[in-house]
Order: sequence, then C-alpha cells, then structure tokens
Amino acid sequence: MKKLIYIAILSTVISSCTKEVLVDIPESEEKLVVDGRIETGEPPVILLTRSNNIYDETSGNLLLESLVSGATVTVSDGSNSVVLDEICSQSLPPGTEEAIASFLNIDPEELDDVDICFYSTTNTAIYGQVGKTYTLDIDFEGEQYNSTTQILQPHILDSLYWKEDPDNPDNGYSWMTLTDPAGQFDAYFWECRRINLNSDGEPIDDRYRTTFNPAFDDAFFDGLTFDFAYENPFNFNQETPPEERGFYQRGDTVVVKFSKINKPVYEFMEMKYTQLQTGGSPFATPSNLPSNISNGALGVWAGYSPSYDTLVCDD
Amino acid sequence: MQKGTQILILLFFVLLSTSLNAQNYTLSGVITDHSNGESLSDVKIVVPSINKGTYSSADGFYTLTLPQGEYEVEFRFIGYKTLKKTITLNESKKINISLKTDENTQDFEEVTVRGEGRDENVKGTQVGTIKLEMDEIKTLPAFLGEVDVIKTLQLMPGVQSASEGTQGFYVRGGGPDQNLVLLDGTHVYNASHLFGFFSVFNVDAIKDVELIKAGIPAKYGGRLSSVLNVNTNNGNNKRFGVTGGIGLISSRLTVEGPIVKDKGSFLISGRRTYLDVVTKPFIPEDGNFSGTSYYFYDLNLKLNYKLSDKDKIYISGYYGKDDFTFSTGSEDFKVDMPWGNAVGSIRWSHLFSDKFFMNTRASVTDYSFSFISSQDDFQFGLNSGIRDYGGSVEFSYLPNPRHRIDFGVDYLYHILTPVSVSANQDDTEFDVGEGQDIFGHESAIFLSDEFNITEDWSVHAGLRFSMYHHVGPFTRFEDDVVGVNDSSTTYNQGEVIADYNFLEPRISTRYLIDDKSSIKLGWNRNAQYIHLANLSAVSLPTDIWYPTTDILKPQYGWQGSLGYFRNFKENTYETSVEVYYKEMNNLVAFKEGVLPQDNAQSNTDNLLTQGEGYSYGVEFFIKKSLGDFTGWIGYTLSKTERRFEEIMDNKYFPAKYDRRHDLSVVASYELSKRWTFGASFVYATGNSITLPVSWYLHNGDLQFEFEDRNASRMPAYHRLDLSVTWFDKPTKTIYNEETGEEETKKKRFRHNFNLSVYNVYSRQNPFFLFVQDNGSAASNTFQLSVQQVSLFPILPSITWNFEF
Repeated sequence: MKKLIYIAILSTVISSCTKEVLVDIPESEEKLVVDGRIETGEPPVILLTRSNNIYDETSGNLLLESLVSGATVTVSDGSNSVVLDEICSQSLPPGTEEAIASFLNIDPEELDDVDICFYSTTNTAIYGQVGKTYTLDIDFEGEQYNSTTQILQPHILDSLYWKEDPDNPDNGYSWMTLTDPAGQFDAYFWECRRINLNSDGEPIDDRYRTTFNPAFDDAFFDGLTFDFAYENPFNFNQETPPEERGFYQRGDTVVVKFSKINKPVYEFMEMKYTQLQTGGSPFATPSNLPSNISNGALGVWAGYSPSYDTLVCDD
Repeated sequence: MQKGTQILILLFFVLLSTSLNAQNYTLSGVITDHSNGESLSDVKIVVPSINKGTYSSADGFYTLTLPQGEYEVEFRFIGYKTLKKTITLNESKKINISLKTDENTQDFEEVTVRGEGRDENVKGTQVGTIKLEMDEIKTLPAFLGEVDVIKTLQLMPGVQSASEGTQGFYVRGGGPDQNLVLLDGTHVYNASHLFGFFSVFNVDAIKDVELIKAGIPAKYGGRLSSVLNVNTNNGNNKRFGVTGGIGLISSRLTVEGPIVKDKGSFLISGRRTYLDVVTKPFIPEDGNFSGTSYYFYDLNLKLNYKLSDKDKIYISGYYGKDDFTFSTGSEDFKVDMPWGNAVGSIRWSHLFSDKFFMNTRASVTDYSFSFISSQDDFQFGLNSGIRDYGGSVEFSYLPNPRHRIDFGVDYLYHILTPVSVSANQDDTEFDVGEGQDIFGHESAIFLSDEFNITEDWSVHAGLRFSMYHHVGPFTRFEDDVVGVNDSSTTYNQGEVIADYNFLEPRISTRYLIDDKSSIKLGWNRNAQYIHLANLSAVSLPTDIWYPTTDILKPQYGWQGSLGYFRNFKENTYETSVEVYYKEMNNLVAFKEGVLPQDNAQSNTDNLLTQGEGYSYGVEFFIKKSLGDFTGWIGYTLSKTERRFEEIMDNKYFPAKYDRRHDLSVVASYELSKRWTFGASFVYATGNSITLPVSWYLHNGDLQFEFEDRNASRMPAYHRLDLSVTWFDKPTKTIYNEETGEEETKKKRFRHNFNLSVYNVYSRQNPFFLFVQDNGSAASNTFQLSVQQVSLFPILPSITWNFEF
C-alpha cells in the first residue's frame, strides 16, 4: 500500500522529462555483502560479494565481477559447527540445482553458463531444523564478520482459494486465509510457483519467486483472521497480454511457500522491497537495508521456516 | 513563568514612565482610497517643517502628536497623489483623509505627476522586511497566468523556493514550517495548492503582503524564521465592483460593494482550476487512467462594518480545497487525495482614544489531508490534520510622538491528528492502532515599544513570554514496542503531560546616518511548538504536522541581523546589504529508515529525532521603484547546515535548501499607458540531495547503499520568464451635445490581457535526481547513471483580466 502514494504523486509528473546528468557522488569504501540463508531441511548457502561505487565501470556479469572467494565460512547451531565448502554452480551436487537457482534468482539453465561460487555444505548435520538458532562466522582477509538467525516454528495458512476476476474470464488472484497468532510479533515471507506442466512436460515455473511485496508483519493485524490476495509474479512480461498480467489462470496449480522469519530478517526484507519500489524517489527518505551482520558488512543472514500449500485454480 | 511575568511588568512601567511630555496635541484619523473607501496602510504622514512623521497602520489609522502650532502636513503614498494640508493644532484633532490615485490625475490632466518614492526602507525601524505592492506584481510574468504572492516573494533576497514551482518557502535557512503564515491574522498551515504550484492566496482578494525575515516583533510568535502577513481587501464601501480573470487553467471572480454606504462593505472572491475539465477529453473513459482528475477551488470572504467612529468589526473567511483522484480504470485501483484549509476570524477594533486602541480577535483554522486508496475490496485510508482555535487581544498605546507601545495576549488551542490510518477488507477491519489526536495549549503575553531615543536613533524593543502545555487525553507508547501495546501510559482528558515556556526578547534598532542612509540591527529569540516533519525533498501535503509533546521538545533559536540601507536619487533607487546569523535548536526530522506508516501501535514522535542547525549569509538588494523602468536585483550568499542525534552520528550535513548562490533579477517596463513588459530571471545553486554512493546485489536484486546525507548537488537552477500586458484604453471620448465639445470620460469597464512565457529558453531544471540502471545484467550492458527529472519546459499562457 505504501507504493500507492508514490504512484499517485509520480503520476502528476507524467508530462515531465528525464535526462542523464553528471553529478559528484562521494567515493565509498568497498564493503563485504553477505547473502546467506538457511531453511528447514536445506543446507546453509552463503554468497559473498563486494559493494561497488555508483560510477564504477562494469563490463561483464555483475555477480561474477563482485564475487568474493577464499573466505572461511562457518555455520554452527550450538552443538554442530561446520566449515562450509566453496561450491560452484557448474559443479553442483545433483538435485540441488532448483534450490540454488532460486537462491541466486536465476534460471536453472543459466547455472551452467556462469560459474558462480558460493559457500555451502553436504553435511546434513547442519541442515536447517525448526527451533534452532544458527550462528554465521566469516573470516575474510583478516576481518571477522558474524551474525545469528533462527528457524522459527512454521505457521500454516488456514486455506487457499482462487477467485475469478469479473472483467477477465478465467483469470483471477490467488487468495489465502490467515489467522495470525495473537500477542506476539510475527513476520511472514511469501513465495510461489506454478507446477502445472507446460508443453514440454515440465512444471511451468522452474523455481519459487517472490511477489512485489513478499515480506509483511502483523503490526496491523495481530491476532486477526483475514483474507488477502497476491498477484502472479511470473507473468509480468511481454508475452502476457496486459490485462492478464498478475493473474493466475483457471487450471493453474500453485504451490505457496509461506515462511516465518524473525524480526531482523523482516526489517531487512521490508526495507529491501521498499527500496526496490521507491529507490531514488524524492518522495522517500534515503534508507539503507538494515544488515544483521557485524563489522559493517551489508546483506543479511536469514533463517526461513516455510510451510507449503497447494492451490488448484478453479471455482 | 513567575520570573517572566515580573520582567514584563517591570518593563511595562519603565516604558510608561518615559511618556511624561505634556503640552502636545494629537492629530489622528483614517486614510482611505478616494475611489473605493479601502483603508490605506503605510501611508507616510510628514511634517516637513519640523522633520517629523509617521506611517498609517494596517487599518489606515494614523496618529501624530505635535506641539501646539500651525503645520503643513503631507500625506504621501506610492501610486497616489500627494496631499498637502495646512492644519492648526490648538486642540487634538481628528482628520480623515482620502487619497486619489495617480492614475486619475494622469487620465484627466495629462500631466505626469509621480508619487514620491518611499524611504521607509531607510527610515523604518524594522530590519529585514519585505513589502509587496500588489499592482507591481500583477504585470510580472506569472506561472500559467496565475499571479502569485509567494512566488514573487521567492524572488527576494533571503527567500528561496524549495524546487521548481513549489510554494514551500525557506527564509534564511529556516524550514517551511518555520514561517508564520497569517491570513488576516489567522494561521494558515499549508499555504499551497496543486502540490505547491499555486499558493492559497488569491491576488484579487489581497490588499497587502509583508514578510518579516528578522527582528520579528514581539506580537508575533510560534515560528522561528519569519512572518508572512497577508491581508485581504475590505471591499469597496462606495459602489459595487466586479473584477475577474480568465486564464488557461483557472478563472477567478471577485465581487465587492457596500453593505451600507461608507459604513460597511463586503468582498467575495473565488477561484477554480479547470484542469480536470480541460484534460477530461484526453483521458479515454475506458482507458488506463479514466477517472483521474485534479482540481482546486478557493473562496475568500471579507466583511467589515463600522459600528461607530470608535468601533469596527471585520469578519474574514477562507475556504479552499484540492482534490486529486488517480484511477487506473479497469484495474479497479483508485486513489483519492483531498486536502484543504478553512480559516475564519472575527476582529473587533476599538479606539479608546486617539492614543490608545485595541484589537480583539477570535479565530479558527483547519487543515486536513486525506488519502484513500482502494483496490478491489481492500481499502486503505490515511488522515492527517490540524485544527486551532485562537483568541488574542492586542493594545496599542501611543503616549507621545516618541513611543508606540503594543501589548497583549495570544492564545491557541491545538488539536492535531498526525496520522490516522484505517484499513479494511470487506468486513475485516485491520487493527492499525488508534489514530490519536494530540492536544496542546499555546499561549503568550507580549509587550513592545517602538521609540525614538534621538531624532536619528530609534529602537523597537519587545519581550514575549510563551508557554505550551501538552494535555490529555493521550497514550504514550514506549519506543521500539511493535505489535503489542502492553507498554503504554494513558493520560486523562485535560491532564497536563508536559509544559514548556520560553522568554523571547526581540530588539530592532535603526540609526539614521543622514537623510538617505541608515544602519539597522536586529536580534530576536523565538520558540516554536508545532513542527512539520517532512519525509521528502519537495513540499508535499503528505508532510506531517506534529506538536510538542512530552518527548518532542519545542524548537527555539535566535537570529542576529545587521543591515546598511541607502537610497539614491530621491528614493528612486533603494539599496541594501544585510548580513545574518541564525541558530536553531530542537529541529525535527524522521529517523533514518523510517516510514510514516511505522507508527502503528506507537506514537509518531517515536519515529522522530531532534537536532540543531545554523545558517548565515549576506543579502544584496537594489531596487528601482520609480520611473517607467522599475525592478530589482537580489542576491544572497548563504550557508545552512543541520545535524540530528540519530542521523549520521550527529555529524553536520547541508540542509536540503542550503544554497550558496541565489540571484533574482526582476524588471518591468511601462512602454505606455497601454503596454507594460515584464521579465524575471533566477539563478540558484542546485539543491543538495542524497544519492546512493554504492550498489550491491542481494538475491539477484540491485540494492543501493547511502552514506552521508545531502552530499551531492543537483545541477544549478536558472530560468527566464517574460510577460507583456496590454491595457485597454482607460478613457473614452464622448460628444457633449450641450457644449458641442468632445469630452474625455473614464470607462467603467476596464480590461487587460497578460501574456506570460514561463521558462523562455526551455531550460531543463532539476526537479529531482535518481540513479537508474541502464541495460541489463544479463546482456552484459549494465551501467548506472544519474538521471534528472525536469518538470516544465517553455510554457506560454494568456490571461484576460477585467474590472467594472
């Protein structure tokens, strides 16, 4: 809802014009960026990169150019402590491609084209378990960075349903009914994918994707039961007719991955998606994403506790 | 408070004791315009033989105390014929004066009689004051044909605009909330329409405008930086009249006339934009933006009635509303954003004697802003507003020619709704916390004396003692408690939660070096109890007014100002140089990274942080106010910085409106009685802006990292506007059958056309900057660049104005 106000205001500026200008921007010190996650039943995965100055020249793949290699990364849950291996996308353990593609936010087919190296492990002792607290320690170029996160108790949605849009036959939003636990802070993270098969006999979506505003907390609805709708993040593209964008079609089978996250992770995610929507707008205060990593590193070490539910889009 | 009161009482008696001169008589009266009975303020009344004089007050009242004798008294006012009167003073006399305009003289006698230049800039005691002549600004270039007082003020040294076209004005490094904006003496909280492109002041209804930048007199309080005093016309008390104008996007109409001839009059003035009507054909009904529209309208009403020679009643009202609707048509997404001001006051002015008078006022002001969005059956609403009930009693006492003493009390009851949010979906009402109103009492007593120590040295000294009480009902939530409101304190109705007070001394002094030049010095300390927390770099109606509370402290600050004033060629040229230094404490800003909706189950002031700031600068001003060619050049060199406890570790950073150079050149040329040309040029250092300094990737998304606030500068702003006004011939020739001669008669219906061209060389001025990623990471063409958004290219407009 916060984006509405920006849309409203920016629309008055519709007739305005835009051009490139050169202004002085102070140089900034390079910082370590941590993109780490651990979720129930999955190994921890940590991608380390560097931050870049605005006017830094880039020629190739952004991710590859800013990758950080050679760090010692340790994850522990209090009883087990595991030093992660540096694993590259071209030599992934079989069966992990989908999860890694989702983590890197690229298509699984692209994994072979670029060699992205990250930190993970096949040691199942440190795979995510509900109720545990995970500590992350990074030793890189003599500097120590650390953080902790939790895998909370998952929260199960009451129900999922699909509602046809009256103006768009066979198109509709996916709805869910949620009962929020009363008297405590709760934050949620929403992802989805469609698993109905395409003409090649493959699931139509190859990985989970987030919607535009995937993170929300219960500040407005503590203890309430209510319904809300989410758009389809997969069809905002040229191939989809404009009136069908954001809708699920009758017959789609949607898997909703609904995760509990803790407060520091929520705060990071909330600001991340706010920044993605308003970045650079004069109507927003310039805001950094609040990192939960020590020693000035950027990014987040995030524990996810997902629950899954499947919806067949039909009346 | 005890101490403050004692000082005030003491000061009062000291001042009174200086009024022990006898054997003098008082000459007093009211000065009006001959044609419409409108009272004239700032008319200069001089007695050349003894080099004494005064100016008429806002109600046209003048009083001059002189020793017994015969005097030639002159009444001078720019644009009017100087009136000379011989007066024998052997008792106190009341003489009302009506002045005829210059124009009338010229029309009939065809002799060029020029009004004498004003030397008030040199001789007035007040430092840092700007007065606008309404006739003067009407021929200057106007944005979309709407002549605007605030935009004209922004062309003066020390006064800045926020950005392209906007109304938020900044005086000597102070924020837009630090200006006390008064319409007929009543506060106006958001003086702008259309995101600030127009001010709420309709020029047809305005009589005079005064901006005080320094040495603010003690009768004004509650704001740190300046006072903008806008007074509306009383209305013609001799005959009915209509004035109006039709422009490209708006029209206005004013009707005025006597209620009872020479006793009372009324004025009603209205304006409405028709942008919505004009653009409607271009927004297809089934298209993407059907239902999107914008309009504003406003109404001014003024009534005055003379109850007796000693009593007059004034009623003044303003109501304005903006409505912006944005709709995406088929997608059932709609935003409705109405906002507006309602202001009303009643004033009773009473003369106890020629030397002692009183003004009593009761007023109400209301500002509200709403934002309602709906998508399918989800609705979200946000309200924010402020309502004040006020009362004041002001006395003026002129015991002898050397003194003018003003004293009185001032009271405001504030009710603020900082943000009230509601959200619902079908029947489910979301719990978004109570949108609690906040209540406060703001009161003050003041005393000031404007007196001449010697013929050349005058002082205006004053003292204001202000108080603020934050009262219940109120619920204080502890900071950092989100989701659960188990840690809060509730106060009952009327319970005093916090109280503050300030002693605010003011002084302004002028020393006349000779008849043409003077030095002025001003110093004032002010307190401010209502704050505007702005989220954005531009002035928007979404900025939130927030009062002083138990944790949010009042702003206070001081300013010192020194000026040298000199006029040349019998006041044809006015020049001045002023320097100032200003310090501000307890300024208000949002903490880093907060959003206004973060205040669910909390208090908005938990999101705010306080800090301090300073500003200093020098202002140069040259004005030619007489002749066919008039205009001015103003230049300001200044620096403004701020710092806040919870922003950038309390390091100083440039204010958004820190502007090193600010230049305005304004010119008007009267080619003939029929043709007038106007031009204005502005140049300003670009506003400071916070741009990201670095980028990184998170889960494949491009994220930005910011460092120091306002560390980058937008490109410089400059623009040239031109205008030409064609006046219809004011007279007509009639054949008189009796005499057989042709006679010249003044036309009752007069009109003119004004053609304005905004941004003549179509400069793309920065409105804001943002960082854009060009190309894409996938295709290896990724590059970041800074993009500038500009609003208005060259924009011609035409307006037809008429009066009868």
